[in-house]
Amino acid sequence: MLVTYPEAAHWPIDPDRLDLVEEFRRQPRGPHGDELQKLLHRLRWAGDPDQPGRYVLIVTQPGKEWMLGRLPRQRGKPIELMRNHVFTSIAEAEWEVFKLRWEAVTGRTLPPHLSEKLA
Amino acid sequence: MTDTTSVLGYAWPMVVSPGEEVAFHLSSPSVSKAEAALVRVRCGDPDPAGPGIRVLEMDAPFERTVPLVHQVLRPGSCAIVADAPPLTSFRSFTVGAFLWPTMPGDRAQTILSRWREDTQEGWRLGLDAEGHLEFVVAAGGRTWRVATTAALLSREWVLAGASWDAEAGRLAVMVRSADPQAGRDRSERVEAAGPTGLEWPAAVPLVIAAHATDGDGQLFDGFYDGKIDRPRVHASVQPIDGLHRLCESVSFPTADARVVAAWDFSREIASERVTDLSAHHLHGTLRQMPTRGMTGANWDGSTDRWTDCPAQYGAIHFHSDDMADAEWEPTVRFTVPAEWRSGFYALRLRAEAGDEPVESFVAFFVRAEPGKPRSKLAFVASTGTFLAYANSALRLDQVHAEAMLEGVLTLSRDDVYIQEHREVGLSTYDTHADGSGWSISSARRPILNMRPRGNVFNYGNDTHFIDWLDETGQDYDVITDDDIHRRGVQVLAPYTCVVTGSHPEYISREVWEAFDAYQRGGGRHMYLGGNGFYWRIAYHPTVPHTIEMRRGMTGLRTWEGEAGETALAFTGEPSSTWRSNGRPPQRLVGVGFDGQVFTHSSPYRWLDGAKDPALSWLTEGIDLAAPLGDFGLRGNGAAGVEIDRVDFSLGSPPGTVWLATADRLGYGGTPAPEEIRTLHRGVMGDQNAQVRADLVYFPTANGGAVFSTGSIAWVCALSHAGYRNNVSQLTGNVLRRFLDPRPL
Repeated sequence: MLVTYPEAAHWPIDPDRLDLVEEFRRQPRGPHGDELQKLLHRLRWAGDPDQPGRYVLIVTQPGKEWMLGRLPRQRGKPIELMRNHVFTSIAEAEWEVFKLRWEAVTGRTLPPHLSEKLA
Repeated sequence: MTDTTSVLGYAWPMVVSPGEEVAFHLSSPSVSKAEAALVRVRCGDPDPAGPGIRVLEMDAPFERTVPLVHQVLRPGSCAIVADAPPLTSFRSFTVGAFLWPTMPGDRAQTILSRWREDTQEGWRLGLDAEGHLEFVVAAGGRTWRVATTAALLSREWVLAGASWDAEAGRLAVMVRSADPQAGRDRSERVEAAGPTGLEWPAAVPLVIAAHATDGDGQLFDGFYDGKIDRPRVHASVQPIDGLHRLCESVSFPTADARVVAAWDFSREIASERVTDLSAHHLHGTLRQMPTRGMTGANWDGSTDRWTDCPAQYGAIHFHSDDMADAEWEPTVRFTVPAEWRSGFYALRLRAEAGDEPVESFVAFFVRAEPGKPRSKLAFVASTGTFLAYANSALRLDQVHAEAMLEGVLTLSRDDVYIQEHREVGLSTYDTHADGSGWSISSARRPILNMRPRGNVFNYGNDTHFIDWLDETGQDYDVITDDDIHRRGVQVLAPYTCVVTGSHPEYISREVWEAFDAYQRGGGRHMYLGGNGFYWRIAYHPTVPHTIEMRRGMTGLRTWEGEAGETALAFTGEPSSTWRSNGRPPQRLVGVGFDGQVFTHSSPYRWLDGAKDPALSWLTEGIDLAAPLGDFGLRGNGAAGVEIDRVDFSLGSPPGTVWLATADRLGYGGTPAPEEIRTLHRGVMGDQNAQVRADLVYFPTANGGAVFSTGSIAWVCALSHAGYRNNVSQLTGNVLRRFLDPRPL
């Protein structure tokens, strides 16, 4: 039985590479440079190991509104809806999730100019 | 937020002809009644950037208010042997089988039983909550139990059994590991005190892989996950060697009257029956379709198909979450009026429940009556594919999903429901709770992603083509994969042109050959999708709307089959990809699956092949210097998601006209596994021109022709700019010419 493991993505993340954070902020939906692709692969593959579940978006209005949620790793356990985190664009949601992941994986808080919501 | 899950249901049959009856089996745990309407589906995709949900309410004699009750789903497969005198005619006995457990230690599981859970009477051999083999005998309020000291290992064969010696008042459990090396040995025998006499409970079925909850023999519990091979019951006390001989025996002389039952699961593999080789003929019936034709403890690798040596395929893989039949009572019935056009239809159910409006659809298909076409054009509902993806939990369960889809997962209300309610049964993209692949899918259960407002892949995408047909005023019949499978080319032959949609991926041999025969007979086939004609499936020989597939070890597979298990239980045919069955899709439709791209979709650029003046009918009104399809609802391009390419070495016909290509897909272009022979870098779409979508045309015999777009995103670009765009223009040009009976 071939299994995929979330810990398999191990590209080393340098917490000083705020240039990659800025690159993502400029274009959350890409296209992205080679190093940002690798950073995103690690974050997406790992699926938020520090959290009770993977960050996901729940469509509340098709094409218009999304809510943040956490998808538990255990089948049958309900998705946690985070009703205070509602977005009106996918790019805005991607940026918020990216920030949460960056801070979790580096253990560092982003500087003020990079921690704001997407304009 | 619209509540799409408080009311759920399924239509049976899923496909009906005008004049036939369809029953809707509905359930709600929270809503006592719903406003019902029958609708014809034009577009099922709620995306406001496209046409939006478009359904036409049908004027039909039908109850407007439907009462609802909660109907429970009861997943879990087992074999049931009706009670019979031989099952209670003994005292001392031995019971056992070869086991390959897949979730030992997850919870208590029953392997073989004649047990009533409500009164705690009878006997059962099983695994306790920690995974030890345990044997329990109980009667008259007393219980005797014995268990091994070591838990069984997952996915390791053991011979496992138990005995009751009524004379000595002893119970025993025994295990012999098939591979007793390197830490795998779980062989042991443990004895404990047992009764010297007891009364067996009356009228309880013998159950394999579960136990009865009561004396009715209708409800079961304690479902086991894993394989069971050659279970035996013998009216004597046997040591492990004796049990081993019994399990290895394949013929049982009537001289040994102590053989109570000896089931051989390698008999009648394509059926729901299990066969007892003993003189008692204690045959059984399977519930919820466990997986058959699985390698047994004696499989030696000399073949990979059960048809070559059934004796090595005496195992059934039972799953505690198998779900082939919801067994819901019908709520309301409807006879489709004879004058109704064929099409995608649904029962729409609306209700108020709490803060949110409920709107839930139950899909069904009205086929064009066989032999009575009402149009020259037929659109194929890819019901094989819809079933293969039914209730897919891929994005919920699989590590790779977010990386593959290149962004945070966006889940619908239906996904939220499936995460919590696995009892609806998953898709062939998913794994069972024990990690093994889900190989069977049935329509006799609610399917949340085959209906308007559901996740749009497949069904929702295909309705974009229906929307375009309705928008352009083109009449058409709808036929289904199920019909083509059952009746062959005669379903296709009446039509001048047949269109397959965005993703006709799951194809039985019968369906493949019907299309081949249709093309040879002068038919015109428009394949407006990607990743089509890819996996080889079988339909159940007797149960309608039920498919089986085996992923094997090639192709873009979300799970990998076990060695030796790529042959379909329903038919004995090999499964896996059509390419590995000697029929690459290129041979049938000119292009075949090569990759995926989820970062963004792309336009095609026209190639010289399109500039042939003889094809002016095809390109009429289209600027060949401009990109083709630099727009669309799936990634903002017509070429994307899953894509196919021309390859003459894989069977694209020599007469193929390569019209256009989208071969600059960037780093998001990812090649299919079977497209890479050796390991090297440079395989992604930014470096590899073999990751591309190709648009082709070729004439076939007797004035027929094929036109293929090689992209799932194609049909989702048709409605762009008020349907006035070059994707729409090209589709219309081809369709117009393909409906013209003059030879191509």
